[in-house]
Amino acid sequence: MNLFEFCHGIIHWLVDLVNNLWYWLGDFLPWYFGDLFTAIGDFAASEGHLLFMTVLVESVVIIVVALINVLNFLWIFRKLSGRILDFYGPYYVGYRIGGWLQNLADGVKLFTKEIITPTKADRLGFLLAPVIFVGSSVTILAVIPLSANFGLSTTSEPGEYVSAGALFALAAFSIAPFAILLAGWSSNNKYTLIGGMRSAAQMMSYEIPLLLAAASVFLLAGSFNFVDIVDAQHDMWFFIPLFIGFVVFLICLIAEVEIIPFDLPEAEAELVEGWTTEYGGMRFGLFYMTTAVRSYAGGALATAFFLGGWQGPWFVPDEIWFLIKAYIVYTVFMWLTWSVPRVRIDQMLVFGWRRLLPLAVLNLLIAAALKSGGWL
Amino acid sequence: MSEGSERDSTGVVGIEKAPSRIGENPENRVLRALAESFPRTVSGGTQLRPGVIRARVDRSDLYSACRTLRDDLGFEHLTMISAVDYEDRFEIVYHITSYQSRLLIELISTAPKDDPVVDSVSSVWGGANWQERESYDLMGIVFNSHPKLERILLPKDVLYHPLRKDFRG
Amino acid sequence: MAEMWINMGPQHPMTHGLWNLRVKIDGETIVAAEPEVGYLHRGIEKICEARTYPQIIPIADRLCYGSSLTWSHLYCLTIEDLMDVEVPERAEYIRVMAIEMQRIASHLMWLAAYAGDLGLAVGFTYTMRDREVLVDLLQALTGSRLTYNYPRIGGVAHDLPPDFERDTIRAVQYMEMRLKEYEDLFDGSKIFMMRNVGIGILRKEDGINLGVTGPSLRASGVDYDLRKDMPYSVYPEMDFEVATHEDGDCYARYRVRMDEMWESCRIIRQALQKMPKGRWRIVAPRNAPAGTGLGRVEDPRGEAVMYAVGDGTDRPYRLKIRSPIFVTVSAAPKILVGYKLADVVAIMGGLDMCIGENDR
Repeated sequence: MNLFEFCHGIIHWLVDLVNNLWYWLGDFLPWYFGDLFTAIGDFAASEGHLLFMTVLVESVVIIVVALINVLNFLWIFRKLSGRILDFYGPYYVGYRIGGWLQNLADGVKLFTKEIITPTKADRLGFLLAPVIFVGSSVTILAVIPLSANFGLSTTSEPGEYVSAGALFALAAFSIAPFAILLAGWSSNNKYTLIGGMRSAAQMMSYEIPLLLAAASVFLLAGSFNFVDIVDAQHDMWFFIPLFIGFVVFLICLIAEVEIIPFDLPEAEAELVEGWTTEYGGMRFGLFYMTTAVRSYAGGALATAFFLGGWQGPWFVPDEIWFLIKAYIVYTVFMWLTWSVPRVRIDQMLVFGWRRLLPLAVLNLLIAAALKSGGWL
Repeated sequence: MSEGSERDSTGVVGIEKAPSRIGENPENRVLRALAESFPRTVSGGTQLRPGVIRARVDRSDLYSACRTLRDDLGFEHLTMISAVDYEDRFEIVYHITSYQSRLLIELISTAPKDDPVVDSVSSVWGGANWQERESYDLMGIVFNSHPKLERILLPKDVLYHPLRKDFRG
Repeated sequence: MAEMWINMGPQHPMTHGLWNLRVKIDGETIVAAEPEVGYLHRGIEKICEARTYPQIIPIADRLCYGSSLTWSHLYCLTIEDLMDVEVPERAEYIRVMAIEMQRIASHLMWLAAYAGDLGLAVGFTYTMRDREVLVDLLQALTGSRLTYNYPRIGGVAHDLPPDFERDTIRAVQYMEMRLKEYEDLFDGSKIFMMRNVGIGILRKEDGINLGVTGPSLRASGVDYDLRKDMPYSVYPEMDFEVATHEDGDCYARYRVRMDEMWESCRIIRQALQKMPKGRWRIVAPRNAPAGTGLGRVEDPRGEAVMYAVGDGTDRPYRLKIRSPIFVTVSAAPKILVGYKLADVVAIMGGLDMCIGENDR
C-alpha cells in the first residue's frame, strides 16, 4: 500500500460515512430539497472530488512528517553542538527523551511574544518576506518523495510522481534569495541591508555550481524524476563516479542554507543578526524553522541525487533508509559548522566562482563522458 | 621617525656633540642634553631611580622640548599624560619612554589656575591625542592646536570637569 | 552602494563591552573609522581620591574584568613606591606567580572572544573551559574568581594554601598540553589563516607613534617588554623570552599572545621553584608622605601605568591610571581603513578590548 492508496481509502471511507447520513437526511425533505441533497452527495462521491481531497490529505501527511523531521533536525543540531562544543545541550524539557521537547517549548515561547514591525519599515515587504521564504521552502518538501511509495501522487501506481520533481525542487530552493533580499531591504536597517545584499550575492554565485552538479546527475539518470534518478543508482550510487560533483553539491548546499563557514548574511559578530535583525517573535521563529526545513530539504536532495535515495538492505524500510541518509548529511553539516571559522565575503565569492564553478563544469564533463561512453 | 633607524644603539644623537665623560650614565646624559638645549626653561633635572628621570619645563617651551626629546634624544613613546590639580597650579606630567635606551622621563609642566592652557603634543606623538582629550575632559586643561579637543569619556554637554578639586558632585 | 556610516555599538556583538565604533563603508570596504568610548565611565580616579589607600585595592580590581589581579598589583606597586615600602621576597614571588596565571587566564579569555568573533564556536568553548583551571587555582589562592582583592600594600593578603604547588604544577602541565591543542586547532585551520594573515597590518613606526603597547606592539616587531626592559618585582630572576613577531598583522598578534602563554607557564614554574620561605606581608604605614609614586607593569593588554600623588594624609591626592587599551583604541582607525567590514571583528578582536579599564 502506498501513500495514495492509504489516503484515498481514508477519504473514500469518510465520504461513504457522511453520504449515508446525508442521503438519509434527504429522505425526510421535500423532493426539491432532496434532489439538491442527492446532487451534493453525488458530487462528494465523484472521482474528481475524491482525488482532490486525497491530494490534500497527502500534502498534510507529507508536511507533518517533514516538520517532525525538522524538529528532529533542530534537536540534533542542539544536541550535537553540545557534544562537539563540550556542553550538555537541551535536556530539561522532556529529559526522558533527551530534551526533545525543548524546540516545542521554544516555539510556544516565540508564539507568545509580541510581533513588532518597525515604524519605518516597508510594511508590505516586511510582511511578505517571511511568507515567501517559508512558502517556497516548504514547497520543496512537497515534491521530494521518501520512497517509491511515499510521495505526492495522483495515481495508485507506485512511483508516479511529478515528472520534473527534481527540477521543481531546485527551482523552489532558489526563490529564497528574493525573500531574503526583500526582508533585508524592507527592514530599513543598515545591518539587514548589508545582510540581504550579501545573501543575494552568495546565493546567486553558489546557485550555479549547485545546478551544474545537479545537472550531471540528471544527465546520468536521463530524467528529472526522483524515482528515475534513484532507480538509476541501483548498481552504483552516483557519488562514486561523480565524487567531485558530490563535494561541490554539498559545499553549495552549505552556502545555500547559510551555516557557519558561509553564514555571512547573518554573521552575528559583524551584522548582529544579519537580515533577520528586525524580525522578532514567531516571525523570527519561522525564519529559524525554515532554515532547518532547508537543511532537511538539502540533505534530502543530496541523498536522492548522490547517495542512492531510499536504496538499502531490505531489513530497514525504504523511507527510513532515506531519512537515515539525510540525517547523516545533516550531521556532517553540523560537524563542519562547529569546527571552522567564518570566511569573508570576498574570499567566499572567489571560492565560489574560481574553484567550485570550474570543478562543477569538470564534473559535468565527466558525467557526459560516462554517459556517451556507455559506462553508466 | 625616519631617522630612528639610523641611530646608534644608545639611541642618543644630540649627545655626541657634548664633551664626552667616560662613565657617565645615560640618565645624566639625557638631562644634560635637555638642559643645554633649553637653558632657560628646563630645570630641576633629577634621577629618581635607575632608568627614571624627572625634569621641569616651562610651558612656553613644552612643544619644542618634546620635539627635541623625540627627534634627538630618542624618546619615541609617550606613555602617559596626567594632569594634577594642586592648590596653586595645574601640573601636567608627561611620562615619556625611550625604547632604545630604556629610559623614562617624567616631564612636568605647570599652568596657572586661571589659565590652564598648554601646547598640544599630539603632532609629536599620535598617542597623545586621546590622552589630551581625556585631560581636557576630566581636568579642563586646554591644549592649543589640538586637532579635535572634545570631551571623550563624559557626554558632550557636561558643564564641569570632575577631577578638579573644587568640583563637588 | 553609496558610502554610509554604520554604528558598530554600543550594543553590538563585536564590541565585547560598551563602546561604539563608527565605520564608514563603501560597499564592504572601510573608508573611515571613529571609535567612541566613555559609555562605561565610572569615575574611578575621582572615587579613589575619597578612599583610604587599602580601600582602593578592590576598586583597582574592578578596572578590568579580564585581568583584575594585574591592576591591584599595579596599584600596590605604585603606593609602595610612594610610601617607600620594601616588600618581602616571598610576597614578590607569589605576586609574580599569580599575575602570570592571570595573564594566561586573560589571554585565554581573549582567545575565546576572538574565536567567537571569527565564528569558531569550538575555540570559544574550549578556551573558556580551560580558563576555568586557572580561575580555580586563583580561587584557591585568593578566595574569589573574578575580582581577587589579593595584593596588599607591602605584600599579599595571605600565604599559599596547602598543596598549592602540586596543583599549580598539574595545572601548568595541563595548560601546556592544551596550548599545543589550540595551536593545532587555530594554526591548522585554513580559514582561520585566511581571516588573519595580512589583515590589519600595523607598521612599526605607526605603532610606536600612536602609543600602542603590549602584545599589539610586539607583534609589529618592537622588542619591548617592561618585564624585561624595566624590570619590576622579581622578574630579573626569571628566565623567559619576550615574544615578538615581525608582520604586525592579526596573525602576528595572535601568535605573540600564544607565545606569551607558553612563557607565562615557564615563569610560573620558576616562581614556584625559587620561592623562598619567610613572611609574605609587612604592615604598611597608614599615611603616605607628600610626593609622587609611579608604577609600571606589563598588563596582558600593554603598558599599564599608575601615577599617585600623596599629600601626607591617608587618601591619595590624585591617582592617574594609564590604560593601555585606551591608547590602542585611538590607533584603531589607522589600522582599520582599507580592509573589509568583516575584518573589523578580526582587527578589533585582535587588539583585545577591555572596556572596564578603557573608560575607567
